[in-house]
Amino acid sequence: MFAADNLTFAYPGQIEPYRFWLEAHDGEVTAVSGASGSGKSTLLDLLAGFARPSGGTITLDGADITALPPEHRPLSLLLQSESLFEHLSATRNVELGLSTATPRADTKSAVEAALAEVGMAGFGAQKAATLSGGQKQRVALARTLLRNRPVLLLDEPFSALDDATRGTIRTLVKELTERHRWHTILVSHHADDVAALATRRYRLENRTLRLE
Amino acid sequence: MTTLPIRPQRVAAGLVLAAAIASLIAVLLWAIFNAASAAPNTSSSSVDIPHLLRMTSIQAGLTTAISLLVGTALAWCLNRLRFPGRDLVIGIFASAIVTPGMIVAFGMLSIWGRNGWINQTTGHLFGFSIGNPAFGLSGILFAHVILDGAFAARILLARLDAIPSPRLKTGQSLGLSAIQRFAIIDWPAIRGTLPGLAAIIFLLAFTSFPIVLLLGGGPANQTLEVAIYAAIRQDFDLRAAVLLALTQIGVCSLVILASAALPPVPSALGPSKAQSWSDGVLARTLQIILLTLAAAAFILPLLSVLVSGLGNGLLVVMSRPNFWWSLATSLTIGTLSALLTLTLALLLSLGRGATARPGLRILLGVPVYAYLAVPAVVLSLGFFLLVRALGIAPGAAAPVVVVIANALLALPFAVATLGPPLDAITSTRGKLIRSLGLTSWQQFALIEYPLLGRDIGVVLALSFCFSLGDLGVIALFGTQDFTTLPLLMFRALGAYRGNDAAAIAAILLIGTTLAFVALPRLIERLSNVRR
Repeated sequence: MFAADNLTFAYPGQIEPYRFWLEAHDGEVTAVSGASGSGKSTLLDLLAGFARPSGGTITLDGADITALPPEHRPLSLLLQSESLFEHLSATRNVELGLSTATPRADTKSAVEAALAEVGMAGFGAQKAATLSGGQKQRVALARTLLRNRPVLLLDEPFSALDDATRGTIRTLVKELTERHRWHTILVSHHADDVAALATRRYRLENRTLRLE
Repeated sequence: MTTLPIRPQRVAAGLVLAAAIASLIAVLLWAIFNAASAAPNTSSSSVDIPHLLRMTSIQAGLTTAISLLVGTALAWCLNRLRFPGRDLVIGIFASAIVTPGMIVAFGMLSIWGRNGWINQTTGHLFGFSIGNPAFGLSGILFAHVILDGAFAARILLARLDAIPSPRLKTGQSLGLSAIQRFAIIDWPAIRGTLPGLAAIIFLLAFTSFPIVLLLGGGPANQTLEVAIYAAIRQDFDLRAAVLLALTQIGVCSLVILASAALPPVPSALGPSKAQSWSDGVLARTLQIILLTLAAAAFILPLLSVLVSGLGNGLLVVMSRPNFWWSLATSLTIGTLSALLTLTLALLLSLGRGATARPGLRILLGVPVYAYLAVPAVVLSLGFFLLVRALGIAPGAAAPVVVVIANALLALPFAVATLGPPLDAITSTRGKLIRSLGLTSWQQFALIEYPLLGRDIGVVLALSFCFSLGDLGVIALFGTQDFTTLPLLMFRALGAYRGNDAAAIAAILLIGTTLAFVALPRLIERLSNVRR
């Protein structure tokens, strides 16, 4: 289980801090929704390690990961934009999910397999900048597969997609979460995304998370 | 359909001004061509244009390459490291754009010269001298890289600061190494700026005057700019001066034409925020070493100017009436030039911002940038020949000419600073301005001026500092009765009065730094009061 326990944070000059309790189970999508400015991005930054909490803990299967820097946390990140480096090819973007020590031959086959799993076989040579929004998110998910981290943080990942594409990407996220037993946390203010994916739902109001 | 407010009077005023500037350039060029054809062809002229062109190009090319390398490394270090006083260090590097070249040259001599700190130390401790590396090509390159490398670093740091936060988060969560991070995230962010920056640095180095004049150490390292000055002031060889000036204009025009298609280099720089994502221990150690070396190389010459200038020599200099006259002249010319630059830049930028027609926008922009092709000494030569052709004594025309010339030389930087934000204001708020029916004056007073406060301050500071430190224009027009501080310092150096020169250099350094720091803040505060 991935959990945040009494995670506390306040911006400079903020009197009342944020306080977060959250649980996410493997193979499930846990959704966090809330109005704009409610603190969803703050929560995500705390979970990912970009912001340092003033109190509380983040644990994965009982192990405390609160002090770990972002690059060493057992998680992958998928953002609304900038999940890919636009000037690199899809293959090169996916390769970044692997350790640099991985042998070249293994890297090639692993990348091809990951791209195939997300429905992007044959797109490896294409520059990320030339891909559509949905294709970019698929490539980012392929990289997540190679990173093989147990937690996936999604920050409004479908916001820039049209209705048809967001439906297929949502399905892909759900399938990958169940197949790879990821603890997926979706931060979104779109009720239909939450309804379509989430097993467990939290709502962020008055600087605290409430289980719905 | 355009959403821009309809302001025909702004466009008309801009066009009239652009035409006036273009006419002035044409007249100055005509004066130069005319003098070239009228001057006797003396075979005794010792000017070797191919050699000068080669030396100037080599010097400018090396300066450009080394400055970009140093600037990139320095921007990389500043982007990564967090330490107390970081803002101050960045501010000092940012001030490189207005630090007069002759002050850096003087500081170099204080550190690396025959009687400099290093020779004094090695002589005292080990009994040997390192010679005089401040003179010659090495000294010129070092002084140029101090200024241009710091300038490049500040521009490139702004590009690194502008990398979107989500991109950095993605990179950090992927655990990119320092090398991967530079190659994948930093390099794409800065590489687009490098060609334009290279063109600016090449032009600055190609037309550099005081540094080459003070550190050149003889004809072997002379450049076109200094050769023009020498041809007029020392050899009285007008024909040679004109030929050199035409060569200079030709090369600068080629560089400007070649760089016209390059992405513009942003000139308005906001505060820099340190990254929370640090590199590994090895990279961080390298960054600390590089930054320390660069800071020492930049700050030590300036510090030495202050140390040697703020001693007894200061009181001696201040007891002389010609110092106070020169100070008053410098401040008056600086203030008038700054106000003239601001007026010209505002009128041209407001005109450009009021039209979406590409042809009109080019017409309003080209004459401004043409001045980059006509460096200070060449511009002065044109004015010098023009006033002579009009039968006016150069000394009598000097105050007006120096103010106009300094204002025109600062104009490209001023328009580059005011143009983009004015364009942004009219394009993003154009609909609202039109729907409210605001007049042109209301638009300026209520919307543009308050939003431009800091940029207006930057323009005033830049043009004031350029004028305060100018030696290129005043070198030809200065007389015993009409002297600025840089010219007074140059004469003191020529007369081997090192203490006097040091004191004036220190005053100039303090003056430019104060103006550069205080003016943008003052104008920003004033514009906020109005809001």
